[in-house]
Amino acid sequence: MAIRQAIILLILAIILGLGANLVSPNKIEYIGAYRNLSGSDGPIIPPDAEENDPPFIDINVAHLEHSTQRTIFIDAREKEEFECGTIPGSINIPFEYMPEGDLQLYLDSCLGHVAYDRPIVVYCSGEECDLSLHLARNLAEYGYTRVTIFFGGSREWERFGLGLERRRDCDG
Amino acid sequence: MISRLFIGVVLIYASFYKVIDPGSFARSIWFYHMVPGDLINLMALILPWLELLCGLALIFGVCYRGAVVWANVMTIIFIIALYSTIYRGLSVDCGCFKASGAAAYKAWKSLAFDLVMLIFTVQMFFSRSKKWWLAQ
Repeated sequence: MAIRQAIILLILAIILGLGANLVSPNKIEYIGAYRNLSGSDGPIIPPDAEENDPPFIDINVAHLEHSTQRTIFIDAREKEEFECGTIPGSINIPFEYMPEGDLQLYLDSCLGHVAYDRPIVVYCSGEECDLSLHLARNLAEYGYTRVTIFFGGSREWERFGLGLERRRDCDG
Repeated sequence: MISRLFIGVVLIYASFYKVIDPGSFARSIWFYHMVPGDLINLMALILPWLELLCGLALIFGVCYRGAVVWANVMTIIFIIALYSTIYRGLSVDCGCFKASGAAAYKAWKSLAFDLVMLIFTVQMFFSRSKKWWLAQ
């Protein structure tokens, strides 16, 4: 009897859930556009990537890394773009404005002298931007061992419904 | 009777915001990375209504045994899901009550609450009492 009742409740829930969605002001698609963690889309890899580059990660891995709150996210764009919308909690190291001289000291101080094996995700705006690639190469060269590149960048992040942190209003 | 009321009220309360805003709940489910992408929205639409129906069934004693089965199954699934987020080091929005989208809910706190819930649901599962049933 318990199983029969459980099935009745499930059928009722299916009817009510799917039916209410038809008239709900907050209706959603019945099949959502979510990617699985094991989705086959895979990371976006730029054509000029080289064999020894740090690994490229996709949106799912980037999101998972972000959820751990141990991983440092670095936005490689210039400050203005960074402030207009960045992955929450990211730090900004504008690749185009890297100083002359002691890059090791500069990178270490930007990262707050964290351990070299701390997970790092570098990104910029998306596929048209290769600042993340160059910054990641620098970080790897200067001893950071767990650098990854999220080449989909802030645009891919936003496209999958993940919020960006906006530090100033950049509309218009 | 206390178990029925407690679990019934918790399930109804838990379902409330999810029924109203299934989109936010869908995102909470996605954050767990445990459900295939194509099933997330369907789950977000159906699960809150199942919680609501089970809560009402427990309180009013209609389809009571079936509701007890679902209460146990759902609680166990919630415990597994929460434990998996702790094990994987994720900090996700629990999605237990109000799906906020913020990734900062204390999973341990939710897990402890679900374990307490499990004590009540298991007690109901083994209880043969038919007091205050409106219908069998």
